[in-house]
Amino acid sequence: MADLVGGARHHLRLYRRLIGAQIRSQLVYRFAFVLDAAAAALITGTEFVAFALVLPRFGGFNGWSLGEVALLYGMAELAFVLMDLVFGGFDAPTISTHVRTGSFDTFLLRPVPLPLQIFGSDFALRRVTRVALAASILAYGVAGAGVDWTAGAVLLLAASVLGMIAFFGGLFVVGGTLTFWTVDSVEAMNVLTYGGRTLISFPMDIYGTWLRRTFTYLIPAAFLSYFPVLHVLGRPLPDGLPRWAAFLPLVIGPLLLAAAFAFWRVGVRRYHGAGS
Amino acid sequence: MTTGAKTLGGGINAALYLHGARLAFRRQFAYPAATFWGLTTNLFFGALRVAVILALFGARPQVAGFTAQGAITYTGLTQAFLSAFAMFGWYDLMRTIHRGEVATELLRPHSFLGFWMAQDAGRAAAQFLLRGCTILALYALIWGLQRPASPGLLAVSMLFAWACGFAFRFWVNCAAFWSADAVGIGRFAWAWMGLACGFLMPLAFFPPWLQRVLACTPFPSMMNTMVEVWLGVRTGAGAVQGIAVQAAWTVALLALARLTLARGLRRLEVAGG
Amino acid sequence: MITVEHLHKTFVTRTGGLLRGTRRTVEAVRDVSFSVARGEVVGYLGPNGAGKSTTIKVLTGLLVPTSGRVDVGGLVPWRDRRRHVARLGAVFGQRTTLWWDLPVRDSLDLLRDVYRVPRERFRQNLAAFTELLDLGPFLGTPARSLSLGQRMRADLAAALLHDPELLFLDEPTVGLDVVAKERIRAFVQHINAERGVTVLLTTHDLTDTERLARRVLIIDHGRLLYDGGLPDLQARFGGARELVVEFESAPTDPAIDGLQLIGAEGPRVTYAFDGAAARPIALVTAHAPVRDIEVREPDVEATIRRIYEDGLLRTDGS
Repeated sequence: MADLVGGARHHLRLYRRLIGAQIRSQLVYRFAFVLDAAAAALITGTEFVAFALVLPRFGGFNGWSLGEVALLYGMAELAFVLMDLVFGGFDAPTISTHVRTGSFDTFLLRPVPLPLQIFGSDFALRRVTRVALAASILAYGVAGAGVDWTAGAVLLLAASVLGMIAFFGGLFVVGGTLTFWTVDSVEAMNVLTYGGRTLISFPMDIYGTWLRRTFTYLIPAAFLSYFPVLHVLGRPLPDGLPRWAAFLPLVIGPLLLAAAFAFWRVGVRRYHGAGS
Repeated sequence: MTTGAKTLGGGINAALYLHGARLAFRRQFAYPAATFWGLTTNLFFGALRVAVILALFGARPQVAGFTAQGAITYTGLTQAFLSAFAMFGWYDLMRTIHRGEVATELLRPHSFLGFWMAQDAGRAAAQFLLRGCTILALYALIWGLQRPASPGLLAVSMLFAWACGFAFRFWVNCAAFWSADAVGIGRFAWAWMGLACGFLMPLAFFPPWLQRVLACTPFPSMMNTMVEVWLGVRTGAGAVQGIAVQAAWTVALLALARLTLARGLRRLEVAGG
Repeated sequence: MITVEHLHKTFVTRTGGLLRGTRRTVEAVRDVSFSVARGEVVGYLGPNGAGKSTTIKVLTGLLVPTSGRVDVGGLVPWRDRRRHVARLGAVFGQRTTLWWDLPVRDSLDLLRDVYRVPRERFRQNLAAFTELLDLGPFLGTPARSLSLGQRMRADLAAALLHDPELLFLDEPTVGLDVVAKERIRAFVQHINAERGVTVLLTTHDLTDTERLARRVLIIDHGRLLYDGGLPDLQARFGGARELVVEFESAPTDPAIDGLQLIGAEGPRVTYAFDGAAARPIALVTAHAPVRDIEVREPDVEATIRRIYEDGLLRTDGS
């Protein structure tokens, strides 16, 4: 038991050091880093700000106010960028680069769990500004959506964000694993991950029926933030779904993540069997 | 150079530039799978943006001179020209500089900037055919596409939109002469370009004060003017004026790029790169 | 230390896309068996594509064989990956194991944590390697700014910091100048002599092999063709010794009974012979007036080349 705890502590320390190494090498070129971080914030901010600036001229958005949209947008963006900071190493382009350049073999030649090294291999510090910006948008939504923030509502939204992190993390892991078979999957997964994030940033009732249904029942993205927000706003869920469906994000997300890691293990076994 | 090389005016080797353009053109067709999935991504995002536009318009027939159909066409145009105009970033020159391959190019008897421009023209043309036309065709099928109001003026505007964008991209990439990590600088520049050129929303939807500010920058000339000419928001004299502004910015940015390039090359020689 | 029995590895490659592709079966390694004792330095030779890197990948645990038994220090490499790699070090000529943007010192310190090397031991090893490999001048330089020679030395230090029992060297001297090569070889010799590290050396540089390895394994087309000493290889398959004679004037008939004529260029004639040089020299001087004679030893490289090209060792007629 003591060995297990010691092992876990060692792994945690190693992870911290790997991330630290990443951060240090990214800060070497200060000026470029600052601009990069600013750019990341800019891209996040301007998409939402553009929408906010334009909305007054149109007066309405399918019955949703800016504050309500900000809730959805902020949650999606915050979850995605936090996920990217943690799971960045599993992203399809990163994994395929590791395999191609041989650094994947270098990972396998170290007496450290492989996933730990992958988690510690791509930490983009510049994304931190996006976290701040996403949090501000979310804060705006929290203040402006006119919601009675009970402890339950807050917990539900926090759980949703965690569920989304797990969900998109799982997608990243799946995308990375697919590169063990083919590099063509890189672009394909982009649609699901980046496309998915943009999709759930807006209320799903603006999308056509079949698009919404696809992302509710086929790829359960709607459960992640749309249903919880509807619940918190006191609106009914579409298709006559029961109210407890809004509490599923903390189930859906981790489930997908677990399945993704099972798939990852298959991918690594294949790597061992077939070389590179 | 090659025997029988065609020359124009002051001895410009047209055949060489055409060749460069042609090679760059062909290179774009080398990754069909990536192009296919890129198109799928484009279409997906296009669908999302159409939904947002439609939700915004609601029941209104017109806003700021745009009809709902026009706005949908706008989203199609931005998705279609995304690759051709390299809206998400262009790092080719940066990479060449960082890899030390600039010297090789300087040993060849042609204009550095001119050759890069020719290659980008080839690339843009290929991307326009490959992705642009496909997206436009799909849009026409799925959501309906508004026809261009004046095709002749549109063609000119398109050309300047590309050239203006190229000059800006080239100029930004020159940062690599001074910084070993110019990618961050690039990302910062593309972020502004995306915001200000009318890629996120038609600039006409923005509050008037913001439009006035942006009009002082070259960015609207890289996309927004072209869109407005296409949709007939700018017609006749208004269109010509817009195109004139595009032309002016193109010339200015190319001059700036040339100047920066010269400075950068001098620095390279001094630093012994 | 290492036992390999009847190792087979077959790859199935698919070309031409997911649906219409054609399958190709490649037998990278066929029925390879050998063993390496603790403390040995073994050279592993073979033309490109012969199956060397596949074997190494199996031994390091990166690849799972199609069939066969492999035992490295009591462990099966691909089954006990973490315990196995904790006991070995690897240096690749083509890529580095260091962190690209970190100063060498920081990379080594990070590896200390990776391999859980006790602080005192790490300090000792670092001091020893810094001196032996002259790392001092560039310990603070990031890996990306190192010259090839510096990088190789840093990689060697990195591979040995945790006192592995087994060291894999994959083309360690490729691209290095003569002085740098010597340095690397001297270090490997020292490590083997002083610390008893078993070394498996893959190389195309035959001087590496001559200087370091008393035993070589030659693999080609997936099969192990030779397993034995290098001098033995020369004796069995080496080319003949040569006599390069410069006659006073070009002989009318350069052919001599009892000697094999290799070539004649005016007064300069080359003969091949077996055994001692005394009789051939006597024959030559008796044949015509001689100005100068040189005895040339057979070239290891030429021998190996002939083995690769002529398939000298292949006994199955493939």
